[in-house]
Amino acid sequence: MILQWLSNACISFGLFLWLWGTWPLVGRRSPLYKLHFLSVSDTLGSMAIMIGVLLRIPREWPLLVLALISLALWNTILGYVLAYCSQGEDSDG
Amino acid sequence: MNYLIFALRLMIWLLLTADFGLVNLAIGILVSLLLPQGRRGRATLWQWLSTLGKVVMAVPRAYIQAIEMIVRPHPHEAIVREPVDPTRAPGLIFLDIFTITFTPKTIVLHYNEEGWFEVHQLVEHRPEK
Amino acid sequence: MTAFLVIMLLILGIPLYAAWKGEHIWSKMLAFASIATKAAIMILLVSVQRDDWMIGIVGIIILSVGNGALMLLAQILRRLRDVANL
Repeated sequence: MILQWLSNACISFGLFLWLWGTWPLVGRRSPLYKLHFLSVSDTLGSMAIMIGVLLRIPREWPLLVLALISLALWNTILGYVLAYCSQGEDSDG
Repeated sequence: MNYLIFALRLMIWLLLTADFGLVNLAIGILVSLLLPQGRRGRATLWQWLSTLGKVVMAVPRAYIQAIEMIVRPHPHEAIVREPVDPTRAPGLIFLDIFTITFTPKTIVLHYNEEGWFEVHQLVEHRPEK
Repeated sequence: MTAFLVIMLLILGIPLYAAWKGEHIWSKMLAFASIATKAAIMILLVSVQRDDWMIGIVGIIILSVGNGALMLLAQILRRLRDVANL
């Protein structure tokens, strides 16, 4: 029961981060500014949701941990590559 | 032997096969030793461990920074230069970049071979030029 | 669980809207990166809801191989801009 509750809390927190971090995408700020918020939503929010899923089905933990690690790794590298490639652009959103 | 590469390969093998038996462990060690290796890292085991420790500590720090960003808006941007030892092993520099970019307030824009990162930062107050 | 999925679908609408509306190419790239991650996580949640780990494996594979195509596209865009500026 407590695990179920904890899992729901994790997923809700992740969804809140998703919503909060995705919202600036429709604004008119520079891509780099949006990238900071996407790192909150897509990396941290998704990790929170994955931990929620992990608490729900602990028997599949090896694959879920692998996905958790590769999620953090790939999203961070993508953020770095996008930041590196989009710089030097005029920054009018 | 490059410790990080070895640990990463073995970890991926173990998580993929989800079998922690002795035979499977031996196969994993053999495979990760036999796969082709890149340039030799010049870093010591202690350097690897301290950098990995920083990476692990970056996870709670990232969540704290995210909550800070939610509670107090950070509407201004700044670009700062951060010095880094240019003689560090490439793997360690990769981990440094990962640690900085993983935390939501900072993103590495550019790594200069002469020894500094260009870091893009979200700040609360307008930086004085 | 279904409520979570509905909320996720609604949130997924935001980057879709940004990708459709954004006239700036890097905004579009960011929106697509966001869609990729969110869709993979949604696949995982669907698999938990239907209690079918086969679907979950697909989500895990998508997360593990990452979105290399977007990185490649970013490099090409940067290279194109460099060539255009010459």
